[in-house]
Amino acid sequence: MTTPAPIIDVRNVSKRFSLQQQRGETTIKAIVVDALRGHGKRRDFWALRDVNVAVQQGETVGIIGSNGAGKSTLLSLISQTSQPTSGTITTRGKVSSLLELGAGFHPDLTGRENVFLYGAIMGLSHRQMAERFDQIVAFAELAEWIDEPVKHYSSGMYVRLAFSVAVEVDPDILIIDEVLAVGDASFQRKCIARIDAFKQAGKTLLVVSHDLNTVHTISDQLILMEKGQIIATGDPDAVVAQYQWLSRETACTAETKEWGTGAVKIKAARFLDAEGQEAEELQRGMPVRIEIGYEASRRIDAPVFGFSIQTTSGILVYGNNTQIEEFDLPFIEGKGTITLDFSALELLAGAYLFSFSVHSQDHQTNYHRLDNGHPITVRSERRYEGVCHMPVRWSVGKGK
Amino acid sequence: MKHAVSHIIPNLTTLTASQTLFDMVPLFREIYAFRDLLWILVGKNIKIRYKRSALGFLWTFLNPVFMIIIYSIFLKILLSFDARDPLFLQRLVTGILVWQFLAMCVGDSLHAVLGNASLVKKTSFPRIILPLSTVLANFVNFAITLPILVVFLFVNGTTLGDMWLLPLVIASQFALCLGVSLILSCMNVFFRDTEHLMSAVMLAWFFLSPIIYPFSKIPEAFQRLALLNPMCGIVTAYRTAFLGTDLMAPRLVVISLLMSWLILALGVSLFQRWQVNFGDKL
Repeated sequence: MTTPAPIIDVRNVSKRFSLQQQRGETTIKAIVVDALRGHGKRRDFWALRDVNVAVQQGETVGIIGSNGAGKSTLLSLISQTSQPTSGTITTRGKVSSLLELGAGFHPDLTGRENVFLYGAIMGLSHRQMAERFDQIVAFAELAEWIDEPVKHYSSGMYVRLAFSVAVEVDPDILIIDEVLAVGDASFQRKCIARIDAFKQAGKTLLVVSHDLNTVHTISDQLILMEKGQIIATGDPDAVVAQYQWLSRETACTAETKEWGTGAVKIKAARFLDAEGQEAEELQRGMPVRIEIGYEASRRIDAPVFGFSIQTTSGILVYGNNTQIEEFDLPFIEGKGTITLDFSALELLAGAYLFSFSVHSQDHQTNYHRLDNGHPITVRSERRYEGVCHMPVRWSVGKGK
Repeated sequence: MKHAVSHIIPNLTTLTASQTLFDMVPLFREIYAFRDLLWILVGKNIKIRYKRSALGFLWTFLNPVFMIIIYSIFLKILLSFDARDPLFLQRLVTGILVWQFLAMCVGDSLHAVLGNASLVKKTSFPRIILPLSTVLANFVNFAITLPILVVFLFVNGTTLGDMWLLPLVIASQFALCLGVSLILSCMNVFFRDTEHLMSAVMLAWFFLSPIIYPFSKIPEAFQRLALLNPMCGIVTAYRTAFLGTDLMAPRLVVISLLMSWLILALGVSLFQRWQVNFGDKL
């Protein structure tokens, strides 16, 4: 049995930007300087290095990775708005792209004119676009604005029209770069529903998104990129887990911070799994022990130790301290350890940041606070939704 | 329906690093495939010029009419040039209208690619459509001024000359305008200085071309050299067509007209070679 030729076939593709090129305009000064130095001094930046991607017809493939990983560059090459430095890219069929928040619209033209302009770029006749026009405007919810120049549109309106047009031109391949992040929740749901219909029709979809949840839900296959290379590809669960493991330190929006009087210092926090082994990767539902080592330079009366857990996107999941728990510490002095036991760690799969603090009972004095200093990855066999697990039980009752 | 789509966009698109698109037959086929886009852009270029003006497209007629009236008043009445040369005004008006087609093309071409950055960065279509659409839009303007010129000549009692030359001259000027537009629209993406440099270049080109003077005023020693300037042959041939004056040896005019087509060939090859980098540069 032979597999059919892929609808998107990216082979050994590399893309180089020279920093001179990135600066935009070329000035006389730059030309003279370059000529004097010789071209050897020009600094090159490889946005993509030897990338191979094969997407089969009807597949939905998501691309994830941190900023600057080369995701958008890859999409612009597949969309043919940019040329590879080496390698080949083959696409079979009509490609419609929504790159960097929007289709190719001309700001001075009205929404209506842009719809027909985009149709013409996609090879549809005026009549074919006229047939689709009402549907496009209705989907974008822009009936009142359609004869205004798009430069007067809000970013949400712009993206709505862009998405609506890009889907309605009957592409074989739809490429979406971060578009779903804009727009309100109800429009996002509409988009997802439209994307589902698009998938049902056997069309091919390529999506870049930082919204792991969405991209994980809609994709059949995920590609993880890092520094211009593909480092993982395949089953969405496995690739998302790998990404979260990789990004546990880098992808957090909250930065690591540390402050306080220093009268007490949190020296270390050791995470121990069920076997008592130190670990950065923990299993959901299993017991976890955290040993917090401290050092008090003088006698501190009635200190309060606390901790909190955040997701990498900055959502506070849980916080607790010895005061709330009525665990009274009369005083501390010198080195010591406080132990925090989770009978079961009920966080769902993902990356989390732990923060620790020690302060006075009246919160007036902060001895030491260590925010987001401890990244932890949690694994889970079951795919629940949300951030934490709640023990529940389903049952069937007899109807009345 | 499926067939219709597949003939418009070739179903298989392969992009490689070494690909050069300079191949005339596929280029014509590509432009033809995107003809709807071309017409939309031509319409946009015409519309945008007169945007928010009450008279709109009427200005296309009014501008040359006002220009002719003003030149007639100042030159014919105040300076009474006509005493020396009965066709002075007619020659001047013809020259200026012809020059304006080129000047407008040059002006618009500088932003033909830059001004459409949002399209170039986000969609894929033959980039050559952009400068081609600005030249076509200006050609529409120029085509409208020609009947006005004929009316003006008629009012002044001038008999038309070798009008059969007209299609050849118009085609050659179109080739020149397109060639220059291709070069400039591309250059301005990579060197923004082009824009500023061009105002000086155009001023020099204006005086180096026989616009406000007949070709015969050029010293004989320089006439052969001057023929390398395609505008020499073009303006002279227009005058031969409309006024039956400024006759030159056809051989010389042909050299000048050929220069136009040479510039077009240069423009196409330059543009096609560099257009692949537009997306990264914009």
